[in-house]
Amino acid sequence: MTAAVEFLNVSRHFGSVRAVDGVDLSIAEGTFFAMLGPSGSGKTTCLRLISGFEQPTGGMIRIFGQDCSDVPPNRRNVNTVFQDYALFPHMNVRDNVAYGLMVKGVDKRTRHDRAEELLALVKLEGYGDRKPAALSGGQRQRVALARALINEPRVLLLDEPLGALDLKLREAMQDELKALQQRLGITFVFVTHDQGEALSMADQVAVFSEGRIAQIGTPSEIYEKPRTRFVADFVGSSNVLSAEMAASFGAPARPVSLRPESVRIVDEGARIRGQVVALRYLGAGTRVVVAAPGGEISVFLPKGSPVPEQGREVGLAWDDLAMHVMEQG
Amino acid sequence: MTLAAQPSDRTQAARSAILPERGAGDRVSALLWRHPNLLLAALLILPLGWLVVVYLGSLSALLLQSFYSIDEFSGQIRREFTLSTYAELFRPANMDIIIRTVAMSAAVTLGAVVIAFPIAYFAARYARGHWKALFYLGVMLPLWSSYLVKVYAWKLILAREGIITWATDGIGASAVLNGILALPVIGGTSLSTSYIGTWLVFLYVWLPYMILPMQASLERVPQSMLEASADLGASRWQTMRTVIFPLALPGIIAGSIFTFSLTMGDYIIPQIVGSSRRFIGQAVYQLQGTAGNIPLAAAFAVVPIVIMLIYLTIARRKGAFDAL
Repeated sequence: MTAAVEFLNVSRHFGSVRAVDGVDLSIAEGTFFAMLGPSGSGKTTCLRLISGFEQPTGGMIRIFGQDCSDVPPNRRNVNTVFQDYALFPHMNVRDNVAYGLMVKGVDKRTRHDRAEELLALVKLEGYGDRKPAALSGGQRQRVALARALINEPRVLLLDEPLGALDLKLREAMQDELKALQQRLGITFVFVTHDQGEALSMADQVAVFSEGRIAQIGTPSEIYEKPRTRFVADFVGSSNVLSAEMAASFGAPARPVSLRPESVRIVDEGARIRGQVVALRYLGAGTRVVVAAPGGEISVFLPKGSPVPEQGREVGLAWDDLAMHVMEQG
Repeated sequence: MTLAAQPSDRTQAARSAILPERGAGDRVSALLWRHPNLLLAALLILPLGWLVVVYLGSLSALLLQSFYSIDEFSGQIRREFTLSTYAELFRPANMDIIIRTVAMSAAVTLGAVVIAFPIAYFAARYARGHWKALFYLGVMLPLWSSYLVKVYAWKLILAREGIITWATDGIGASAVLNGILALPVIGGTSLSTSYIGTWLVFLYVWLPYMILPMQASLERVPQSMLEASADLGASRWQTMRTVIFPLALPGIIAGSIFTFSLTMGDYIIPQIVGSSRRFIGQAVYQLQGTAGNIPLAAAFAVVPIVIMLIYLTIARRKGAFDAL
């Protein structure tokens, strides 16, 4: 099966800045693909390379097997939900949604009917006559989504679409986007800096760092088997034990990732002892930072377990299986 | 008790010392802080006074004059309400002046839109840093020199013995120039005595007033909106027509208000460059001066105001300000 989107050693340099630097990736058709990374890591540039607003300075991009070096954005069968939604303020919601059909020359009646169908899909029936300015942030987001879907793209690109929404709405939209993707069966490429969003929604996650892909895999692979210190730290703030420490705990002499929720506070049978230096209440539990010889170790205590006082000495224990040996430090 | 009270008195004193000494200036600033409307009133009293007394006052005096009439025999102004002065505007000779002025204003505005759009578009979307500074300088520079000097300079450029005739002769294109001058109505004996010449000079003098608001409105169109349009399949031309132009329209209308009303009110350019056929401005100038017919001059002066109001009403009805 041909991949929906394929990057072959793609680079995008702006002068001396290597925004994207030798990226190889393949996005299978019908997947929900997340590009995760901090700002400036190259994820948005990768998205703009797919939509055609940026051109690679090296390498090749294929969309459904077709090289699209010479294909301008308006001739690519991909559509984008923009971060600021980019709704046209002088058009009402219906005309915004129907825009993609209007520029194709589809007659008014047909395109308005189709726009209403899409507004129903995003649960905005009856909003067609309003101007974008009269909508809330969440509603604008849905209009942007409906507008991007009207040309029936085979790949939908979403550039941090939930970034401007408040937490409650964001969570609701995450569920809806996921359900929508499964219903439509088209490929979603989703850019985000929120690791929770990427892990909960995506089938595949690519973690970006400094213009390169640090790791690519399913959410559980990324979370449980981080390949590098960067991935371990960026996704879920893992503890990274040095090679020497790892060796002293019976693991191979390589850097090791240890998730805070895998560490227990024990009185007996401790692998290591240290002093509690910080406590952070997180609602669902408490994060305890313990200063141990060789570095600080974070422990996540679920709600209900006894929380030690700050400054007390505690013992820490974990199972051998909790230690994931990484390829690089 | 007294011993215990002493330290607490001292802390009281120390606490109140945190607040600064209150002088007259502090009291004024406190008053303004507690009554923000007072500050607003102080700020507005001068410009508002100017607007009401000087500006609206003279405008209503003008309106009032236009409802008087002149006694044909004595030349005295009859201070009685009448519409006869307005009726005079509909005489064929006066209607010619009005139509000529409105047509010229419309032609100048159209020309300005066509020439200003690419310049404004470049400045808004591509020019950065030094290029932007150069753009502002280039657009503003002509405004810094005397209006009369510029108009006379144009008269020399456009004259029969001027540089344009010389240049067209030089490249053997004098037939083209003569052909243009032979056109009915807009032609003439030379460019400097034709409507084409008047139009060119108007266009030159008012162009900055079209470019600047247009550039400001184009600059406010976010890049992502142009990308969204292309993303949805629109060609560059479709994006221009359906997104950029409607969003820039308030700026274009603002510019056209300048070019249109400035052309309608001007009486110097058509006097220096052009045929001897009169425009509204010249009619007003002559009526209030040599002819001493203030009521008719006032009635003429009301014409541009009425035309602008009609123009703006139509623009609003057509949705020109929807993007605001």
